[in-house]
Order: sequence, then C-alpha cells, then structure tokens
Amino acid sequence: MFNINKLSIWHSFIFLVATIFLIPILIIGGSIFLGFSDNFYHLYENLLFEYSFNSIALVFGVSCLVTIIGVTTAWLVTFFNFSGKNFFQWALILPLAVPPYLLAYVFTEFFDYSGTANNFLRSLLSTESDIVFFPNIRTIYGAIAIFSFTLYPYVYMVSRVALMNIQPSLIEASKLLGRNSISTFFYLLIPIIRPAIIAGVSLVAMETLSDFGAVQHFAIPTFTTGIFRTWTGLYDLNTALQLSTILIIVIFCFFAIEKNSRNKIRYDNSTTSKNSYKPIHLKKFQNVAAFLVCLIPVFIGFFLPVLELINWSIQVENIFSPKAAIAASNTLYVSVIATILICFITLITNFTVRSFGMSQLINDILSLGYAVPGLILAVGITKMFTSLDSLLINFNTFITGSILGLILAYIIKTYAISNNVLNSAYTSIPISLDESAKTLGTEKISLLKTIHIPMLKTGLITAFLLVIAELIKELPATLILRPFNFDTLAVSVYLLASEERMFEAAFPGLMIIIFGLIPIYFLNKLILRENG
Amino acid sequence: MDRTNKFLDVKNIHLSFDNKDLEIIILRNLNLKVKEGDFVAITGASGSGKTSLLRAICGLETPNEGQIILDNSIIFNKEVSIPTEKRNIGLVIQEKVLFPHMNTRQNIEFGISKSKNRSELSSDIMKKLKIQKLSEKYPHQLSGGESQRVALARSIVMRPKLLLLDEPFSGLDTELKTTIYPAIKTILEENNITCLMVTHDLEEVKALADKLLKLESGKLLEI
Repeated sequence: MFNINKLSIWHSFIFLVATIFLIPILIIGGSIFLGFSDNFYHLYENLLFEYSFNSIALVFGVSCLVTIIGVTTAWLVTFFNFSGKNFFQWALILPLAVPPYLLAYVFTEFFDYSGTANNFLRSLLSTESDIVFFPNIRTIYGAIAIFSFTLYPYVYMVSRVALMNIQPSLIEASKLLGRNSISTFFYLLIPIIRPAIIAGVSLVAMETLSDFGAVQHFAIPTFTTGIFRTWTGLYDLNTALQLSTILIIVIFCFFAIEKNSRNKIRYDNSTTSKNSYKPIHLKKFQNVAAFLVCLIPVFIGFFLPVLELINWSIQVENIFSPKAAIAASNTLYVSVIATILICFITLITNFTVRSFGMSQLINDILSLGYAVPGLILAVGITKMFTSLDSLLINFNTFITGSILGLILAYIIKTYAISNNVLNSAYTSIPISLDESAKTLGTEKISLLKTIHIPMLKTGLITAFLLVIAELIKELPATLILRPFNFDTLAVSVYLLASEERMFEAAFPGLMIIIFGLIPIYFLNKLILRENG
Repeated sequence: MDRTNKFLDVKNIHLSFDNKDLEIIILRNLNLKVKEGDFVAITGASGSGKTSLLRAICGLETPNEGQIILDNSIIFNKEVSIPTEKRNIGLVIQEKVLFPHMNTRQNIEFGISKSKNRSELSSDIMKKLKIQKLSEKYPHQLSGGESQRVALARSIVMRPKLLLLDEPFSGLDTELKTTIYPAIKTILEENNITCLMVTHDLEEVKALADKLLKLESGKLLEI
C-alpha cells in the first residue's frame, strides 16, 4: 500500500538538499537581472577583454599540452615495453597530488634569479653570479606549463583506460593494412578514443578556469582573479556575481561536453573487449625516447616540487611549528566533517533514487556544484548567508563567517566526486536483492542499514578518500569562507607564499601532497584491477 | 600464367607458448608450400593451430623456429622478421574488425590512402562484392554478413600478395554465401591473389578451394 508519510521523508530530504545546493548557484545567476553598475561597465570597457583573452589562451594552451602529454604517455605504457614501464604506469598519476598553486609557488622560487635551478647551473658551469639561465616563469606561458604538468593525469587516466579497452584485432587489422605503430596511433587509436580525450580535456579546462591560486600568484588577469579583485578591491559583490555568471556559463558548457563524451565512452566500451595486445619491445634509441617522454612529466609535475619542498623544509629550524600543527588539525577537522556529511548525503540520495525509481537527473543537478569554481561558490554562499543573517538578526544569530559556509561549499563542490563512486557502486547491487528483502518484510531503513551499507563499504571508503583528498588542497573557497583566524594547510601555504616565505610554506605544502597521495594509491589499484 | 611452385614456402615452423613454466606446442616443424594464384583450404579440429598458422604467416605471432618465404623473399627466419605492416598480406577473420569511427568507404580506403585512384578502387571492389549501397554506413549499422564483405573488400583492395581467410564466411547465411562465392573467386583470379583459407565448411571448400589440407597434431596432411 502506498505510504505517503514514509515516501515524503526520503523525498523531503532530497528536496531540502537540492534547494540548499541550488540557492547559491541561482543567486549567482540571478545577479544578471539586478542591473549593471558603473563598475561592470568599467570592467566591460577596460578589462573584460583581457580577462577573456587570458582565460581562453590559458585553456587553449593547457588543453593542447595536456592532450600531447596525457595521450602520448598513455599510448606508450599501453602498447610498448620499455625501461621503467611498470614504474611509469602508476607514477604518471602522481602529479594529481600536487595542486597547481603549489607547483606555481615552487617554480617561481626554483627558477628565480637566486633559485635552485640558476644556482645549480652557475656552479656547474662555474659562471658569474649575475647570469640568469631561465626566463621569468611568472607569465602566461609559465602558467600553461604549471597547469599542464599538474593536470595532464586527467587525460592520461581516461586515455589509458580507453586504449586498454580497444579490441586488439582492430590494431592488428590496421597493421595488416600496412600501417605502422605511429600511423595506427594517429589514424586509428586517437579517433577511437576521442570521446575519452575530450572528457579528460574538458575536466582540465574546468580546473584551469576555476583556478585562483596559481594565476593570482603569477599576477595573470583572468576571470577568477578579476572576480576576486572586483569583490575585495571594488567591494562590488553584485558585479563580482555577474562576472561569475559569465564564467559559470562557459564552465557549464565544458561540463556538458564532458558528460556527453563520457556517455560515448560507455557506448564504445560496450562493443569492445579487453585488450590482450602484446606490447612491442622497444630497443636502443626508441627505448630511451619512451623512457624520457614518460619521465619528464612525472619529474616536473611531482618529483621536482617534492624534492624542492623537502629541500626547503629541512632548511627551516622548526618545521613543526604550532601554527603548522593548528593548520593541519583545522584542515583535518573541517575536511573530515564535510566528507562524512557528503558521503551521508550521497548515500541517502542514491538510495532514494534507487528505491523510488527516480530519475538520475536529480544526481546530475546536485553534481552541478562541481563545475562551479570554488571562488564563485564562495561568493554565492556569502550572499546567501548575508541574506539569511538579515532574517536571523532578531534572534541575535549570525552564520556569515561561521564554519557552516565552508562546510556547505565543500559539500556542494565535491558531491559529484562522491556520487560518481557511490552511483557506480550501487549499480553492482542487483535490484532483485532489494525485491527479495521487500518480500521478507524488510523496511527501507533496514534495507539500507543491513544490506546496502555493508555491500557499499568499499565504495563508501573510496568516496571518503577521494573527497577528503580534494578538500585538503582546496584553496579559493576556504580562503574566503573560513572563519576568522582559521587557517587550513592550503590557506597557510597561500598566505606564506604571498609573503614570499617559501621555506616556511614548504612543510604544509608537503603535507598537502602526502594527503593527496592516499587516493592516488587507490586509483592506481583500481586501474590495475581494470587491466586484469 | 607462369605459376611459381613455392610462392609461399613455410619451412619447419615451430610455434609454442609458455604457460606457467609449461610449453604448449601449437605447431611442430610444420611445412607448407602454396603455388602462386592457388586457393588452398585448411581444415582441422578446434585448437589444432589453424589460426596460429595464419597469424604466424602474417607476422602477428612470432614462431620459435623455422623460415617463411613469400614471393622469393624471406619474411621470417632466425635473423629476419619483416613487420606485419610490410608483408603485404591480407587477413580476414570471423570477428568484427571494422574501424568503428569510419564508414564503409573510409574503412575500405584505409589501406590505400596513398593511392591516387583510391576512390575508383574502392567503388570497384564495393560493386563487385555488392556492397556499394553500404558505402556511407558505419559498422554499427551493418549486419554480420555485410561487415564480413566490407572486411573482405578492405583486404582485397590492397591487392595483397597473399590473402589469409580465417573462417570469414561462417556468420553468413547459405543464400548469401552462394551469391558471393563466385564473385570472390573471380576477384581473386582477376588479381592473381594467392589465398589460404581456414574453414570447417566443406561446401565452402568445394566452391572456392583448389586444394584441401588437414592440420592434425601440428602437421599438415593433404586430403
């Protein structure tokens, strides 16, 4: 019999979550209808072109470079045997643990006039101390390199999985038709895995457009730095929101492209079998070339920053300062609370969608927050909270500047990550199991507790790890929404780096990387399992 | 026509695989000679090594020992191993191997992309195999039989020195088979293409082959 009361509890939960998730985004979008101030016209006439040009140039440059690095390395480790292949298979993902802003700080110092790179070459060549070997890294080209070497793993991972799923007989057919490995790569493999490449590049484009820390450090005027300056410099929140709307529309386009491409990958995979293609043994020059092609991105994106951060850390007298300890504990405190809440919300939402046969559209809507840059989300939440504060003023309660805003931003931003994991974990539980439980008189809550949660244990742990690693390195939303005097590791690094105190920033930076390595370990295991 | 007696000469081929310290022998000192322009069929029980023999000839498997000569050139021995893409050997298998992102015409022209008259060549072969109406269709829009004819056209259009067929018609219905057998026979004869086919279908052998061999315990016996 239809029970409206029980039905409404689950549905009310989803409705409440969706409302809270969507309000900040709607506030941002709604700003367009509130009229344009003089500041907006000033930006439109003088700066908007520069913001747009730099953002487009950055996305274009990074997209090209990550495609070259990600696809080439994926092709090499999938189809060839060469020195170090087993190491590179998993090591190529390591730069994911290094947030772009951290690499930007390291590179600025590393290639500086008195940095490690110049000093090393001077001592190696015994030249005069005023010779500078490296150009200024704080340019748009430097930023393109920074983003490319930290974000290429997104393209590497999807390309690798797509290449592993290509039917070996297709590659053999290409060879039988007279095409060598390189010709097969360009004319067969790349066109086949194109949806996967587009999906990976779209993610990279979203991350690049959303970034604040690296472009701010390099003083490159982009949309995100423009939004930040409009808000904190011109004190014009509405214009900042209007600029944010323009950026969100662009990012949502990439989000739609990514989603569409991912659906195509699923379609392609349904017709192909697992790859048992015998890798070709590379010899002599080819072996060295393949080794170097894989080594360079891992070295620049991971080992170089880690080694330099270790080098700086050991030069600081007291690296375990009370400030660093507080920042670490704050980071864990806020990240753990947010991650538990995210996993709980995702679990209940997916359970409700499954139990009541609801459309997956609800998950798509809740995942929209992933595409909203942290900085913009923070602006939307601030506006929402200030409006709520004006309602709560009679109760002498203020939520603006509390930890609530930060946790909410984290939840909205990373719901998509958690949902991706739990949603696919749920598909492995046959619906007939639910039906059997129902015939045995099991209530919904009992079904969730005694059957679903134990079966989703691995999925829940994976979601927890992936989300917490993302939150530990989150910078822009934390910078804006953190309560007064509440520094996280990312904020500490940002503040110290902006004061050019790089040596002190090194240890919290290293801690961010170490936390980031945990889910990478699990990701690697997942890819290796996929490969059989 | 001047027909070389040993157009394809497979000498003492030994092929084995290691499986957990155990050597599984697929082909044991196998010998095979095929005349130029001949159509030879090979039959044998499942797992007797028929497919492995074809894969070794076209270079997709590397034998442990032996020598393979094609058209007076050594394509494999202890010192030499010509890569698959340079052997000019066609292989059509039962599995669907059409490139999914290309339509029929693009699939057929894949191997002759450098040829100036590729469009005429592909149109001609499509006409002969009665697949000209499929030229704009993609592999997922083709039936099993249509896919096989496109795969066959793709291999033949390259005018390979040797065409290897691994049960390529097993998925086709009898009516279609009787229609396309004469067409295939004519095309192969017109282009003087030597052919080696693995099959279980004796009707197919009667319709196409000049000679039938049986592969048993790693050796070839003439029937």
